[in-house]
Amino acid sequence: MEVTAALQKLAAYEPRESQRSQRLLEEGQTVLKNNAYLKRGDEGWETLEKLALAALDQGDIEVANKCLKILSDRFPESSRVDCLTGIRIEVTETPEIALSFYDSLLEGDATNAAFWRRKAAVYRKQGKTDLAVKELSTMLDTYYTEVEGWLELADIYSTCQQYTYALQSLSHTLLLAPQNPVHFLLFAETAYLAADVPLALKMYLQVVDMTDDDDDDVPPIDSIPTGLTLRAWYGVKLCTQRLTAEPRLLTSSASQTAAPAATAISSLDDLATERLRTADLNLAGDLVPKGDSALIGAIAKLIGKSGSKS
Amino acid sequence: MSGPAVSLYLDPQIRDWVLFPITLVMILVGILRHYVVLLLQAAPKKQPRGAIREQRALVRAQILRATAPNSPLPPSYYNAVSQHLTDAFTNGSYLKDGPPKSDASTAPPNPLTDPNAMDGMMAGMKTQMVMMVPQMVIMGWINFFFQGFVLIKLPFPLTLGFKSMLQRGIETPDMDVRWVSSLSWYFLNFFGLNGLYRLILGSDNGAADASRDMSTPFAAAAPQMGQAQDYSKLFKAEQDNLEFSKGLHVWVADDVETRILKKYGRAT
Repeated sequence: MEVTAALQKLAAYEPRESQRSQRLLEEGQTVLKNNAYLKRGDEGWETLEKLALAALDQGDIEVANKCLKILSDRFPESSRVDCLTGIRIEVTETPEIALSFYDSLLEGDATNAAFWRRKAAVYRKQGKTDLAVKELSTMLDTYYTEVEGWLELADIYSTCQQYTYALQSLSHTLLLAPQNPVHFLLFAETAYLAADVPLALKMYLQVVDMTDDDDDDVPPIDSIPTGLTLRAWYGVKLCTQRLTAEPRLLTSSASQTAAPAATAISSLDDLATERLRTADLNLAGDLVPKGDSALIGAIAKLIGKSGSKS
Repeated sequence: MSGPAVSLYLDPQIRDWVLFPITLVMILVGILRHYVVLLLQAAPKKQPRGAIREQRALVRAQILRATAPNSPLPPSYYNAVSQHLTDAFTNGSYLKDGPPKSDASTAPPNPLTDPNAMDGMMAGMKTQMVMMVPQMVIMGWINFFFQGFVLIKLPFPLTLGFKSMLQRGIETPDMDVRWVSSLSWYFLNFFGLNGLYRLILGSDNGAADASRDMSTPFAAAAPQMGQAQDYSKLFKAEQDNLEFSKGLHVWVADDVETRILKKYGRAT
């Protein structure tokens, strides 16, 4: 099971130059020099894998090659090393070479979902979105339970503004991991973009319901919404505002979701405003803006700030 | 036990040249067998993608059904997914060999004609051979060289019922049951060394289950036979289940606004 998880992580890998990888690379190089990985057993090999990824992040091909060499000498037939080699090829060679590498791997073992996802990632980076979607859908048709794959597919669809398809992909993630409020939030946000406001409102409220009462003794009314809950309340506010401003949205839901009654919407709007004010007062600490639009702007800034921090 | 203090005196040479060698040879053969089994066991054959897809299609339906009474999906999305699966099951598009022909025979496939199942059975037989052959050789060796040897005296008295177990190969009705014959010593080792193998080779070894597999030569092949399932029938059954679950479907966010308003004391 552990190998499956590791393969999933590799399959989802995306290069980014972060400080973390920089630090990992610096620390790792001493490990590599002293052959310290040999003394740490299985953990040592994992360190090498991480180091290779960090080196690729930082564009340090030499270190990555060294790690790969050691790993492939030690585990000559491991699909995990193959996947890592593929990522290494992606960095320096043309996408065509990487694709043919994955193709050759898939010929040997057509059942390895990680290779499929890497292939889709390469297509996506090339801008061949249609091919990426095709690869991902064939993979998901076989390996239905890959939540990450569904999320990626939904992401591809939303970047192409195919919100209906994105919603359909997200609905599978909801089925597979109904306990994860992040998926609900994504679904709500996509529904909002798809102009299915009643559905979005319901989903946002669902996120609120899932996230607001943690283990604290504070009753939800006195708590300060943060993180996911704050984002959900923000979404609720946007939805209620749009529903009040454009009543025709109430009945034009693509998913035939019944919108709440008008009184419920107005009290939800009140409640959301109150919640957002609490959040703004406690988190940003500045003067609470008076009008709705000023409040929304402030909260958007707040969410953006916490989003970039995490 | 009354009578003379020592009724029988064993030559220490028997201990050195018969008792210890038999035990040692059995242990070593067990370890050797473990490694031979490891060599013979080919890596489990990878299934083709179609077969995996066929197997997992049922899981998709089961996941959907499991969520139905408290579904995260609004009715329209739930129905879309459910309908899609029902259609796929009706058309048989998830079947490994593609949609069935209309007049194809519906008899379940015979596992003996399926080459994949045969492979599994052959692998089982091979390990069986590795188990049986050395045991037969050792038994022959003991029977040939040490027939009728008395090897060891147990340090505790036993009832007469154990005579046939401990003195196999020696037809002396009067001998104390505590004396163990060579052939019986072989059997004691054969059944009793599992604990030692587990200690030396780890719990998941190929030597320890020798005695278990001995009794049922086809045990290893049995699970492979069971796998030949008729998926088109299973899919048919799953269609009905999906239909049932559709009736059970309740969206978890159906009345979420009243729940939230109540929670925050804004209920009207």
